[in-house]
Order: sequence, then structure tokens, then C-alpha cells
Amino acid sequence: MHLTRRRLGTLASAAVLATPQLARARIEGTLVLYTSQLEPDAAGTVRAFERLHPGIKVEWIRGGTGQIMTRLRAEIAAGTPRPDVLLVADSLTFEGLKTEGRLRAVPEAKSGAVPADFLDKDRTYFGTKLITTGIMHHIRAPFVPTRWTDLLDPRARNQVAMPSPAVSGAAAIHVLATVQQPGLGWSYLERLAANGVQARGGNGPVMQAVAGAERAFGIVIDYLPIREAAKGAPVRFVVPEEGVSAITEPVGILSTARNVPAAIAFVEFLLSRPGQELASAQGFLPADPAVSPPAGFPDPKTIKIMPFDAARALREQEETLRRFAQLTGS
Amino acid sequence: MTLGVGRGPTVSALLWLVLVTVVPLGRLLAEGTVSLQLALFHERAVARAALTSLRVAAGASLVAAVLGAALAYALYLRRPPPGRSLLVFCSVLPLLVPPQVMALGWIQASGPASPLLLALGLAPSIGTPNPVYGLGGMILLLGVQGAPLVLLSVAGTLRRLPGEVVRAAEALGASPRQVLRRVLLPLLAPAVLSGAALAWIAALGNFGVGVLVGIPARRIVMTVLIWRRLTLGGPAALGEAAALSLLLAVMALPALAVQWWAARRSPTPGGTPFAPLSGGGGLSASLAMCLYLFAVLAIPLAALVSASLVPAVGMEISPATATLRNYAAALAPGAHTMQAIRNSVALSLGAAVLLASLALPIALTARLRPVRFAASASDLIYALPGTCTAIAVILVVLSVPGGLMLYGSLASILFAYLARFQALALRPVAAASARLDPMLDAAAQSLGATPLQRFIRIHAPLLAPAMTAGGILVALTAVNEVTVSSLLYGPGSQTLGVLVFTLQESGQSGQAAAVSVIALLLMSGLMAAATFAARRLPAGTLPWRP
Repeated sequence: MHLTRRRLGTLASAAVLATPQLARARIEGTLVLYTSQLEPDAAGTVRAFERLHPGIKVEWIRGGTGQIMTRLRAEIAAGTPRPDVLLVADSLTFEGLKTEGRLRAVPEAKSGAVPADFLDKDRTYFGTKLITTGIMHHIRAPFVPTRWTDLLDPRARNQVAMPSPAVSGAAAIHVLATVQQPGLGWSYLERLAANGVQARGGNGPVMQAVAGAERAFGIVIDYLPIREAAKGAPVRFVVPEEGVSAITEPVGILSTARNVPAAIAFVEFLLSRPGQELASAQGFLPADPAVSPPAGFPDPKTIKIMPFDAARALREQEETLRRFAQLTGS
Repeated sequence: MTLGVGRGPTVSALLWLVLVTVVPLGRLLAEGTVSLQLALFHERAVARAALTSLRVAAGASLVAAVLGAALAYALYLRRPPPGRSLLVFCSVLPLLVPPQVMALGWIQASGPASPLLLALGLAPSIGTPNPVYGLGGMILLLGVQGAPLVLLSVAGTLRRLPGEVVRAAEALGASPRQVLRRVLLPLLAPAVLSGAALAWIAALGNFGVGVLVGIPARRIVMTVLIWRRLTLGGPAALGEAAALSLLLAVMALPALAVQWWAARRSPTPGGTPFAPLSGGGGLSASLAMCLYLFAVLAIPLAALVSASLVPAVGMEISPATATLRNYAAALAPGAHTMQAIRNSVALSLGAAVLLASLALPIALTARLRPVRFAASASDLIYALPGTCTAIAVILVVLSVPGGLMLYGSLASILFAYLARFQALALRPVAAASARLDPMLDAAAQSLGATPLQRFIRIHAPLLAPAMTAGGILVALTAVNEVTVSSLLYGPGSQTLGVLVFTLQESGQSGQAAAVSVIALLLMSGLMAAATFAARRLPAGTLPWRP
């Protein structure tokens, strides 16, 4: 599906029609957003939101989840956290902030038709979509992988790129999930490293390295290769037989937020029908099951997600990621 | 000498210089020395980065010296080749094209996904790393960028070189070759070295090439190391960053010494200007230069433009696939491009106007020892890598109460630009003020004009052209700047340079190329405006009119 400006415009005007009460209660001021969305996606989201709320000016900054979180941590340490809203990859990050009391519970925020398992039960953060991590390959790759273990093939030696968990939240969750899989675990990651996997930067550079034919295979989030392939990029996305890891890209409001009404409006927009349709138009699997997934995606019901013990992951996170960094020298 | 300009200008010049240059330098020195052992904590990574930086700087200054000397030889020492002024303009261009944009062009021009190579059927096979990534790529890119510095340095010395020297040698029967070897080479060698020293400092302080070309090959240079430490550690890592940037400053010292030595050996102008030697100037020289300029300008530019027109990475460019989608995305409402253009233009023009105006009182009071001392601090800041300025400014901003609110704002970036570029704005004004006839001032004084009246009616109008020149230099340098702003930007204060590198770093290479093309258009517009504004200024005022 192509995301055109006209389409965005239609979506935004549909949004205005759909939520007249929001448009009438004019919320104003500046909203500071820190996000891990890629530059064009974040720009599109911000634009659609600003159209809906012409009184709000969003000032935003993007970076990998790891980069955004270190920036936020530094600001918290210095006593002046700047963002009102945080929209980053994974719920583990939000769980950490929640236990520190850094998130504001907003039970009053309307969560649309987004299923409850996307939402924190204390309403401090809200999953906005489903982003899975699978395998991408160049169409000129020596073979088409179907399982995670295919990446251990000698023909994939020094040909696999993946994002660094220090930068990408999705990659961090993926490593944590892989460690928990009975058939994969540390022995898989060790053999992957021995086969010359390169863990560097975020998902964007992985997409670029594979599309640019510098590497034949990539471990990457789904929508990048699917969306770029639709535009003509020489890549394909594969859901491995063992299953994919998944994140929900939650949004949450900081306890130190200055413009709470605008922040709540932003959260509600992402969860609303128009917000979910925007996500789908941008190429993401929407959280709202009633919104149809973008073209090129496998049927959401057929996607197998690797089981994931979040409590265990939270406990093991630091140690696992350090060990992985040593393994890959990233 | 009683060229009194009154207490007002003196006090304002001193206060200004202390605020924008002495205080930041002092803070950096204090913080850096205190935290030196912090930096040693990561000893191996630091040593590796320092070594990489030194290798890049040495390689780049060598390449720059060879290329720059060859260009100067063909353009100025021999009979002028046809179309010299255009050739000079193009030879200086690599200095004005932002290095991160040039790097992007080369990345797009080579490698297995190059739209150009794909269209020509010459793309390397899958799995081949891009040959630009690595030490060699960094050295060549920065060397080509530094070559104009050598060319300009030689051209500047030639303007002062007494023509009598060559005439005397020729009268004694020396052949052109002998004149070149025995007379000109010894006289011009300091200029080549001085230009190479500038290229050393530029390469050492470069950030854009280090990020785009160094990181993919795991070649981490000092500027990138400092940026990483700061983005991963925030203000907490500031002490360490300060120590690292002091280390970077120390690595620039040999180049400063070379420049100081070369400046003392600069020739005194004679009665007749230097005239080119006979011979040379044929079509072959022009052709060789055109080939070189084609390679360093046209190829990366073509690659950049084609990358900006490709719908998705990895596709080849053809009339059927070309699309303006990347430009539409870059200019879509909500995207950062327009904001970045506004920020960069406002910052560079703001800095240019402020610095050019303040250069006047500084230049007029430069005879006073305290002012001279403070002005040399501004020279030092300009000569040191930009990373040092940025860290120094962060330190100053954070030590003011409530300064954290300033951290990441446009105001903090402006402060850094003011500190960094004061010397650039001051130089032409100081040179022009040294040429002022003191009799004018004395005459006005004898007619009863007050210091303020003389300042406004005599000095300001006479020095206005030099101030314009200084302002133009600042605006052109600041509009492309990335090293300083990459450490200081926050929400809403991205500059054009920062936008290009964040787009490329996050894998949006098509959009990065589109923004780069827009930045180049903006730059050409500024250069055209500057050429128009400076058409009555003496040669050497604008870098592309040496």
C-alpha cells in the first residue's frame, strides 16, 4: 500500500469528522515527543495529529530506543526530563520506567478498540501496533531462508546483518526472546556470532545493508522490507517457522509531563480508529483487529509469535544484553 | 599611537571576547584536566580512536598537500590555462560542499547498490562491502576536501610574492625549471605546509565523514568517540568528553606550530606582482584538471542526485523508476527539513551579523594588550576541532543556574557558533583596520569629533566592506556545520547537517540524499548572494575568488 499525501489528508479529515468532540475541546500548547519511529513515520504521525489539533505544536526528536532512553535517563538524572510523551519500541522499557514511578497513569484516556492485552493494566502505557522481527533477504541471496537456523548455513557466513540491541528496542526484545526459546537459546546465538553476524545500528541500516546488497540476509522488523519491497526494493520478508519475536511500540505519558491534556490527546489519537488506520497506511500491523492490515503482510492470524516470559526478560535483560554485546563485539 | 576610540568600544570588545571565547576555553581546560583519569578508564578504545584520528589526519593532509600543490602549479605558476577563473572556482568547491554531503555522494556512487553502477551493469556482487567505508575512504574524502586549503594558501602567498625575485633569477640565466626548483619551491614550501596543516586540523575535527564512512567500517575517530560518549552518557559523561576533547586539542597542536612557523616566513610584498612562468598552460593541463574536477565533483553529485530519485534502496535509476517521492517526503509538512533549513539559516545569518558587527570594536581596540590576548583566545578556539567548542559551550551552559533548559536549544547552538567563528569574522576586519590611515582619525579629532562620532562616522563606514566579508565567511561556514550542532541539538533545534546524518544513520538514504541536494541548492544560493554582495571587495575576500 502506498502512503501518499492525499491518503494521509483523507485519513486526517476522516479523523476530524470521526471525533468532533476532540476537535471542539481545543487543546493548545507545545507537546514534546521522544520517539523511536523512523523519521518519515514520525513526521507523518506528528502531521496527522497536528491537523487534528491545530492548537498543538509537537516538538519531537527521534533515535533508536537505546539512544532515546540514554538521553531521557541523562535528563532525569539532571532533574529536567523534557518529553511529555514517549513512543518507543517495547513494553519492557516502559515497565522499567513504571516501576521507577516515571509514568503517569491515565485511566481517563480512551483506548478505542485496541484489545486489553496491548494495554498496561494500570493504564500507564498503551501498545499501539504489532511489530515483529523476522528474516529479510535480498532477491539475489544465495538461498531463501525459512527457519532461524538457516542463518547458520555456511552460505550465510558474514552475510547476516542485525540491529544492535543497544540501539534498537526490537532487537533487544528479539535477543531476549531467542534466549528463552528451547530450540534456539544461547547456543544458537553463539553459533550465529561464529557465523559472522554483524550487529550494528538500528533497523534502518540493516534494511539498507541488505537492500544495498552489502549483506544477503537481515534480522529485521517486518514493515521495513515489506513496505520497501512494495516500492520496488529488491528484498523479501520471511516469517521463520519457529516464529517471530514481537513488540507493541507502546506510548506513555511521563509523570513530569508539562502538557498533560495534549499528551492524553496524543495517546488517544494513536489508539483511535483514525490513528490505527494511519498506522496501517504507514505499513504497520495495527493493534485494532478491526482495522485491516497493510498489503503485503501475511495474515496476522497465521503469524506465530515465539512465547515470551516478560518477567524473566526484565530480570535477565541487563546480563543478557551485556553477554550478547561481548559475543558480537558490538 | 593614540588612535583612541573611547572606552565604550574597548569595554564592549573585552567583555564580549571574554564571554564567548575566554570563559568557554577556561571551562574546558579546567574540566578536562580534572577528568583526565576518567578518560583513561576506557584506555584502549581511546588509544585506538586517537590513533585512527592521527592516521586519518596525516593521510588527508598528505593527499591535500599533493593535490593542492599540483592545482596551484597548474593554475598559478605556469601560463594560465584557458578558463582559469572557472577552474579556480571549481577547484575551491570541494571546500564549500559539506563533507557529510560529499561522503554521502561517494557512498551512493560505489558499492553493490549504487544506482549508477547498477544502471551501467557494473555493480559489485552481493555481499561486497562498499569500498568507500574505511580508512582509505576517509583519507581520500578529507584529502580532496583539504586540497583547496593548500591551493588558497599558495595563492595567498603568491599575491605577496615579489615579482623581482623571479625576474632576477631569469636575468641571471635560470631556466623556468631552475626558477621553480631553486627560487619558487623554497619560497612556497611554507605555504604548502601551512595549507596542509589546515587540512590536518580540518580532518582531525571532522565529524560527518567519521560517522558516515568510519562507523560502518568500525573505524572510530575521536570526534565520533566523543559524540558517542555524550549521546550514551548525557551530561554525566561530560567530564570524560571534556578530557577527550582536550586530547583532541593536543593532537591539533603540531599543526598550529607549523602554521605559526609558516606565517613568520611569509614573504614581504615587493614592487611588482608575481608573473607566471613561461610554458605550461596548454590544453592538456586544463584537460587533466577537468578530469580531476569531474571525478571529485560530478561523480558524487550525480550519484547523490540519482540516489535522491530512486524509489527504494537497491533499485537502479532509469527514466521509468525515477521519482520525486523522497523530495515529497523530505518537504512534507511535519518533516524536519523546513525546520532544519530555518534553523540553519537563522543560526548562520544571526552569527554572521553579530560577529561581523562585534568585529569592529575588537579590531579597533586590538592594539590594547588585554584585547589582543582575548582575541588570540578566539583564534585558538577557531583553530581547535569543533568538538572542543561544543563541549566547552555545554560546560558553560550547564554551569549557569537553570542552564539545563538551554541545553539542546537553538540559543546554545548560537552561543557555540559565536565562540567558534569570531576569529573568522575578525580576520578581514583586523587586516583592513591595520591599513586605516591614522591621519583621518587625527583630523576628525582636531575638528572636535568625540570618540563615538569618529567611531560611527569614520571607522564604521571605512571598515564596512571588510565586515561584510567576515560576515559572509561566517554564514557560509555555519550553514553547513554539523560537528558542533550534532552535540548540542535537541527537539526543535536540528540543523541541516544534523538532519542529513540522522537520516542516513537511521537508514533513510533516499531522503538523506534529497535533503543533501536541497542543502546544496541553498548553499549555491548563498554563494551567489555573497558573490553579488562582495563584487567590489578585493581579491582573496571570498574563498572562490582568490
